[in-house]
Amino acid sequence: MFANKTRSLLGAGKNLRKLIAIPNSRSDPTNPEPSSEPRVKEWAERLGALGKDTRLPRSVQAIYMRPLRRKAEYGLPVCDLQLRSYTVENVEFFADFAVRAAYYLNLPVSGPVPLPRIVERWTVPRSNFVHKKSQENFERITLRRLVQIKDGNPKAVQAWLAFLRKHAFYGVGMKANIWEHDSLDVGKSMDESLPEIEKTLGSHLAQFGQRKDNSIEQKMFDTLDNDRFAERKNL
Amino acid sequence: MSKAASLFHPKRLNLSGFVNTRVIRDNNKRMAVEQHEPERQALRYMIRNTSLPGRVRAQAQLQLSQMHSYTRPTQVKNRCVASGHVRSVFRDFRINRFQFRMQALSGHLPGVKKASW
Repeated sequence: MFANKTRSLLGAGKNLRKLIAIPNSRSDPTNPEPSSEPRVKEWAERLGALGKDTRLPRSVQAIYMRPLRRKAEYGLPVCDLQLRSYTVENVEFFADFAVRAAYYLNLPVSGPVPLPRIVERWTVPRSNFVHKKSQENFERITLRRLVQIKDGNPKAVQAWLAFLRKHAFYGVGMKANIWEHDSLDVGKSMDESLPEIEKTLGSHLAQFGQRKDNSIEQKMFDTLDNDRFAERKNL
Repeated sequence: MSKAASLFHPKRLNLSGFVNTRVIRDNNKRMAVEQHEPERQALRYMIRNTSLPGRVRAQAQLQLSQMHSYTRPTQVKNRCVASGHVRSVFRDFRINRFQFRMQALSGHLPGVKKASW
């Protein structure tokens, strides 16, 4: 989709002019136009002026160039996103989208790395009955791309994943592995957070328990002979 | 003391797609297996637990052998969801080889194409 690999904004401007092949109908700027003309010009005119004295917003221009990236300070992997699809265009497009979205969320990203393709093949007889000599081959090739987030804020990573889910592309599956890092005295912080967790779990844990009459004294014979099993015996 | 399979018939047919008698029967078996799995496992545990008295284990064996065959997990067989066929059913698509070919050729299976290499 993004065949234009030029890096500089100048080059992008040139290419934009090529892309928009609308003749520049604007009059000479030295002659001021009469005031009767509407302030907002026609679309053709506005687009024609794009290469000359106006430009697209930077964010729109960026689409025509390689995705911008943040630089990873420590290079600590935080999230692995794997994209899978049966179509090259879809997975390429969405990987590019994911990388761009990561830039605007201030997340350093590496990738997309093309992972090995998964090729599944099936050979089936053409006929519905016998005739094994005449068979047909089918295959399904799964293409994979890996996008890795490095030393990002966990909340920003969650926001990024949520954004990608919201704008999920058709025919592209996503799978994310997230790693969270904590300081060395993680035990202490876990101990501190325990009372709060217990409070929230209390209502759930209250539903667990043992029957009062459930004691070791009760024999297995009783279990086997009790109503539930006896009922089943007549089945 | 009946061992009728009709015990496992649901009141209403809870199946969609291709349905015939054998598909319904298989579905009944699946439901029976699911429902009776805890009982089977409890009995199996009693039978294998050597710390239990022999009589308990023998009784559990008897009860397990008396359970209906439909509650046995080995009774379940994968069937083609498009034709009800039992043989050569692909696990990936849950359809029979011939249905697979027809659907692949008509493009109903995402990503499956004719291969040549």
